[in-house]
Amino acid sequence: MEQADVLIIGAGASGGVAAGALTEAGFDVLCLEQGDWPDPADYPAPRATYELEARKQWSGSPNVRNRPSDYPVNDGDSDVVPLMYAGVGGSMVMYAADWPRLLPSDFRVRTLDGVADDWPLRYADLLPYYERTDRAFGVSGVGGDPAYPDGAEPPLPPLPIGQTGLRMARAHDKLGWHWWPAAQAVLSVPHAGRRACVQYGACMQGCPEGAKASTDVTHWPSAVQKGARLLTHARVSRILMSKEGLATGAEFVRPDGTWDVVKAQVVILAANAIGTPRILLNSAGPRHPHGLANSSGLVGRRLMVHPFANVMGYFDEDMASWQGHVGAKITCYEFYETDTSRGFVRGAKWSLAPTGGPLNAALPTRAGHDVWGPEHHAAVRRHLGRTISWGIFGEDLPDEANRVEIDPALVDSSGLPAPRITYKVSDNSRALLDFNIARATESLQAAGAYDIASESLMRYSGWHLLGTARMGDNPETSVVDQFGRSHDVPNLFIVDGSVFVTSGGVNPTSTISALALRSVEHLIANRRSQQVPA
Amino acid sequence: MTLSSELSSTVSLDAAVPVGAPAECREWLARVADLLIPAAGDMPAASEMDVAGRQLDIVLGARPDLSRHLLRGWRSTADSDPQEAVRLLQDLDAEAYDAVRMVVAGGYYIHPHVRRLLRYTGQEPRTVRVDQVPEYLEEGLLERVMERGPIYREA
Repeated sequence: MEQADVLIIGAGASGGVAAGALTEAGFDVLCLEQGDWPDPADYPAPRATYELEARKQWSGSPNVRNRPSDYPVNDGDSDVVPLMYAGVGGSMVMYAADWPRLLPSDFRVRTLDGVADDWPLRYADLLPYYERTDRAFGVSGVGGDPAYPDGAEPPLPPLPIGQTGLRMARAHDKLGWHWWPAAQAVLSVPHAGRRACVQYGACMQGCPEGAKASTDVTHWPSAVQKGARLLTHARVSRILMSKEGLATGAEFVRPDGTWDVVKAQVVILAANAIGTPRILLNSAGPRHPHGLANSSGLVGRRLMVHPFANVMGYFDEDMASWQGHVGAKITCYEFYETDTSRGFVRGAKWSLAPTGGPLNAALPTRAGHDVWGPEHHAAVRRHLGRTISWGIFGEDLPDEANRVEIDPALVDSSGLPAPRITYKVSDNSRALLDFNIARATESLQAAGAYDIASESLMRYSGWHLLGTARMGDNPETSVVDQFGRSHDVPNLFIVDGSVFVTSGGVNPTSTISALALRSVEHLIANRRSQQVPA
Repeated sequence: MTLSSELSSTVSLDAAVPVGAPAECREWLARVADLLIPAAGDMPAASEMDVAGRQLDIVLGARPDLSRHLLRGWRSTADSDPQEAVRLLQDLDAEAYDAVRMVVAGGYYIHPHVRRLLRYTGQEPRTVRVDQVPEYLEEGLLERVMERGPIYREA
């Protein structure tokens, strides 16, 4: 049996940030991670078969990959399929590294728009942590974006926006609409011993250069060097409790079926907004029959996933639109803030991404469709290199009916009960996406597109898993406080995207990382008053 | 031996080693492939790019999961002409139809000759140049965004 000051469950974005801060402060840290260390030599980007592998072994869906380290998710009753990766670095290994921050209004949607809830903290509270995580991860971009208050200057120079970004920037200049080179957690120059981006255009299947930030390259190596113990292939079944109502550690199982226990003074959950409620609900016992830390009844509820639409324009010119970093060349916040005359509240952020290689031109995964027979070659040439795509992330307002539960029958490769999710796109989200699809169409037409294809809801787009253990000041209406501490179990913390009160309309990893750092530094600062088991 | 194990048991993860797809399956696949991707202009037909030969070995080396569905698709439509075979798969066996399209398009578009014809140079490393002034700065595009002023809501 292992022992530690702090047990972290999950070695992804928030787990890596937590481990880095805790080891730096001298804590004895142990992390249980169900996956393995990723091997960059496995990443398919340099191989000719990259696009083939991206649809199976390197799919974002655990149900498609079906590796033993993945757990299955019953997503049959969800409009959107959840995407994630189990391993050191977590879903950052397969994310696009688009690195925007939430905006000030995102923390105050009840006050400003009369919907959902305000956060128990404000943008200004998070600002110093955003600045520090930007440096730690190595964020490239341009300061001065008028979509944000001062203080959002990325530490590294911007990545190239390419021919597609330049074309759309000129179009938005004509329209008088916002655009900006996107902040990306991808290195434009060497940084902290890591190499710069070489533009494989394959960020979402692992970065073989290590230029894309993920905690397996940015945080874990130094944390391990400073003494953190990282146990891979260790899948947590449940949190263990003392009779005094404190967490004492966790039980875990190895792939060979052997079981073990880690004892700890503090337990931190960092397993994402599906994995964390799954563990809490699987930790139900006689004293907490509806799951651990769940006196509010909100564990697993309010799942938000950012319903995603995309609009693609077809152009006469070859712009090599397969090239470069995947997250976003440029972004647009023109329609981000609420304008009630549009018939909905809140808004969306647009990201301009590459449109893939020849296999994607033949069998599009986003807007467009496959064509076979005599017209096949013309259809592929029409798409390959000659398309520009706006990806539209709309704010997803919380709804208690959208939730994570334990499936009564489905189990993972260790026999542990697996989650099922229920998620329906709301009327507000639908209206929001439809409005933005229409504006994105105008944007592409202004850039000279001769044809447009759109996908009003992309089913395989559940990259952003949020909200299933929300933070708040009131224990009756929230699971954790503003520093991630469980209202019910004072030495149990949650630091992943589960704690989001609302989703905003931007990619969340930047905010997840900044919140994790803020929570863990609060824990460190208050270590003397922290309740721990005897 | 089951239909799936007949092929998957001989599929190698090493793309250089030929897989054991029966010759009849390859002949059937070549006919179906040319229906899906015929020659047109400067672009060759799928069979000319050996999608039922070496390219199939490479595709199934990278995606052994496709072999089961490919083999089932062949077995269930072997007696039909290519057009009828494709129609049957579309109507009756979506997984097999998906596998056939993936095998044909995958094999075709990873062929170096096809990539040259398309001038596709993706997945090749190119160092980012940060020492050049971006055109958007030279053209004053970013400056004009800033001149329009803040667009976020104070909160």
